[in-house]
Amino acid sequence: MMPGTRTSRAKADAVLAVAVLAAVWKLGSMAIGADIVLPAPERVLSTLLRVASDDGFAAALSATALRGLASFGISMALGVSLGFAAGLSDRCRAMLAPALTVTRATPVLAIILLAMIWFPSGIVPVFSAVVMAFPVAVADVAAGVRSTDPRLLDMARSFGVPARDIAARIRFPSAAPHLASAARNVIGLSWKVVVAGEVLSQPARAVGTGMQNARVMLETAEVFAWVTVGILLCAVSDALFDLLSRRLSWATK
Amino acid sequence: MGYEVKGLAKSFGELRVLGGLDLEFPAGRVTVVLGPSGCGKTSLLNILAGLDEDYSGEVLGFGPGKASYVFQEDRLMPWMSAMDNVALVLRRFMDRDHAMATAEEALAAVGLHGSRGSKPGAMSGGMRRRVALARAFAYPSEVLLLDEPFSSLDLRTRISVMDLFLDLRERDGRSAVVVTHDVREAIYLGSRIATLSDKPAKTRDVFDLTLAKEDRGFASRAAASFEARLYESILS
Repeated sequence: MMPGTRTSRAKADAVLAVAVLAAVWKLGSMAIGADIVLPAPERVLSTLLRVASDDGFAAALSATALRGLASFGISMALGVSLGFAAGLSDRCRAMLAPALTVTRATPVLAIILLAMIWFPSGIVPVFSAVVMAFPVAVADVAAGVRSTDPRLLDMARSFGVPARDIAARIRFPSAAPHLASAARNVIGLSWKVVVAGEVLSQPARAVGTGMQNARVMLETAEVFAWVTVGILLCAVSDALFDLLSRRLSWATK
Repeated sequence: MGYEVKGLAKSFGELRVLGGLDLEFPAGRVTVVLGPSGCGKTSLLNILAGLDEDYSGEVLGFGPGKASYVFQEDRLMPWMSAMDNVALVLRRFMDRDHAMATAEEALAAVGLHGSRGSKPGAMSGGMRRRVALARAFAYPSEVLLLDEPFSSLDLRTRISVMDLFLDLRERDGRSAVVVTHDVREAIYLGSRIATLSDKPAKTRDVFDLTLAKEDRGFASRAAASFEARLYESILS
């Protein structure tokens, strides 16, 4: 089969999957017959358009996006540096292990609640997302660094290549595909935790605040509309990282 | 300066691979170590290259950083161009520009000047072997170590890459140790051939070759009669 045909088939399948999902949703909402429980998809769409045309929407969306990107940047900076250290040194890995296990095992709500005691409401989502996401990046990057082909490392050792060149020119490029996967995992987690943090900490401008306000008013369609905004943020970042992964895997071939 | 191993022994757990090997590698010559597959030839080279320090016996003249190693596989970084692959091993001796210029010259010497910017994935097996040879010759070592370096190539490419190696080595004059299980390859490359017994490997015979280059070819009768002597030594 031609590659172009395969791509258009995949696209058609994706459209079909969305159509099936919308149909199931529509049938479900008709069967329940109560918008307050499960509003119909077209009602959610019209609410989404109304919410998007509201004055505060752009500010809420950009504030949430900024929090998500800040969480992502901090998590990746921490994750790459600590992951690289853990990948290179068994001692570093052993020292980081307890802290990473504790953060991984702590429920996200517990972290958000503690953050609400320690920080102003705008910082809570960022702090919580970083605490939840950076261990994921550490694990991915460390696995990438450790996955370096030992035969290449032996080659470098036999020629006496300095350790810093081995790190920068062999280990780091070997870890590049893992870095892309770490970035994708971290951004996905960041959006989820940032929005959850916003729901609880209620900053003035936030997607999560919109969601929580709608819930308090029992505006289920509006809750769905804000959820859709969150999903779209996640989908856009996923598409960007797909592109990045492809470029990085070309670069290493 | 001469190179030598005395009473070299190496084990992996209970498995004795080298059983007290004595062997001289005369300076400026190509010594081929010929032995059956799995008899410990790669272990010997790893020790000579300084990659394996867990052995007993004496190793004279070799050491880490003194040898250029051509491995069984190309061991090129797939994300780097041919030139960057060669320059990487030169960086501790010279600045970046000088390393790149030296790498470019080395690639030109193996006939790959036009492909210096290509990545290994875009090259044929023969071209990648040439890059590995360029890297080994560009590196300022005292001795070349080659581990079955041509066995993965088809006969025609193999002969052309072996000729290239012999030509570069002749001009360069560096000592070389080649390990192989292929008798005809040993005759083609070596000026001295040492045969090894099976595990635990010991030196069985050492032959100094006096055959002219044209008599070493794969179709040569003189080489065929010498081949019989080598088989006799390996299989005895």
